[in-house]
Amino acid sequence: MWLPIRIDEQRPEPLYHQIEVQLRGLILGGQLKEGTLLPSIRELAVSLKCSAITVRRVYQDLENEGLIRTRQGTGTFVAGVGAVQRDEHRLERVTEEMEKAIELGLQLQCAPEEIETAFRQALHRKSKERGGDVT
Amino acid sequence: MTVANMEAAISLRGMKLQHERFALGPIDCDIPKGMVTAIVGPNGSGKSTLFRALLGLEPILSGEAEVLGTPLNGNQEDQYKSRIGFLAENPHAHENHLAADEKAKFASRWYPGWDWEKYRKLLRHFDVDGGVRLSKMSKGMRRKAELSIAMAHDPELLMLDEPSSGLDPFAWKTMLQELGRYMEPGDRTLVLATHILEEIKRLADYILFIYRGKVLGLYEKDRLLDDWRTIVVQIEYARKDGSEMLQRTPGFQGLTEAGPGLYRLEVDEPERGEAYCRDNGFQVLAVQRMDLEDILSCLIRKEEARR
Repeated sequence: MWLPIRIDEQRPEPLYHQIEVQLRGLILGGQLKEGTLLPSIRELAVSLKCSAITVRRVYQDLENEGLIRTRQGTGTFVAGVGAVQRDEHRLERVTEEMEKAIELGLQLQCAPEEIETAFRQALHRKSKERGGDVT
Repeated sequence: MTVANMEAAISLRGMKLQHERFALGPIDCDIPKGMVTAIVGPNGSGKSTLFRALLGLEPILSGEAEVLGTPLNGNQEDQYKSRIGFLAENPHAHENHLAADEKAKFASRWYPGWDWEKYRKLLRHFDVDGGVRLSKMSKGMRRKAELSIAMAHDPELLMLDEPSSGLDPFAWKTMLQELGRYMEPGDRTLVLATHILEEIKRLADYILFIYRGKVLGLYEKDRLLDDWRTIVVQIEYARKDGSEMLQRTPGFQGLTEAGPGLYRLEVDEPERGEAYCRDNGFQVLAVQRMDLEDILSCLIRKEEARR
């Protein structure tokens, strides 16, 4: 099976980290459902042009986190993910992205109040675009 | 050079060979089982000689060599070779008059694991007519036929010397697929000598750099590509000690002056290297991953400086 994972060689993060973050996102985001059979280590390595060692490391990490399960002889499957875990992941992702934006703001010498205002305005605008009514 | 926690398919300890015009070694390295190792080096580095030595075709002058658990001491039985598949760099002229199927028939007697079904599948996938004489085939066609024969007994160790030479891009893709499939069970070992960087990127887990008969290093490929970076830095022109200071950068590998006060620095500890540059008053203009070619030439420059 093909996984929508992209490696960006311009990014400074190591390959295994890039793959791990994206695969974790696919599982916690619900794009990969419980019980889905993942590609074998070699298959994924060939398709991502990375080494089997890197993929094995990713699978091991995610298995330790309880997100995937390996059954001897049959392959690696997506494990069941609790609603709590999924919510936590959602918030983590959002926080991460917001931190990046805040970092940029501070770098550009914005005052905290200015950043807050910008955040509120952006939230308001985006919600309106989507037809919501968050104020 | 050893790889931690890994069973070795090939283990060399101070192995040395001597030809009339060419000396190989001493080589120390363990090629891990279950992995793909690409042997990379300029022409004439000794890649083909190394393969011949592993097949027991070159007398070993000193040191030790073990292939699939069999020590090569000159008295080894030929049996270990039936667990190896080998594709030589150049086709053998004495097989020119054979059709691919006839060569396969010879091979089937020698390899206990020979599988006609697998052979025919490989030929079909590579789109080769096994009834045609090897000498009548185009270079790429013959390559595909010989590769099918080398793989048809599902060897524990597959050694390929420039496998893709002569292959068109479609055949090349098919070869990558077949080699991926070959590695799938996880206990097979593939060693290939190649100049094609894309092939190395797609297939290799480890890279063995060799140069002038010596091993420059055995590296985990992704670590190599993650760790090696070029850092472009700038410092006021008036400062004369720039290059001296940069040579003390953590993970320093190479340095070229690109202009007045402008340097291209090569490091294999990118974070510490970058921090060092900033702490010493350099302005970091760009940080980039390095290509395998650049890494290899950097290693060669270092080796040359040592000689």
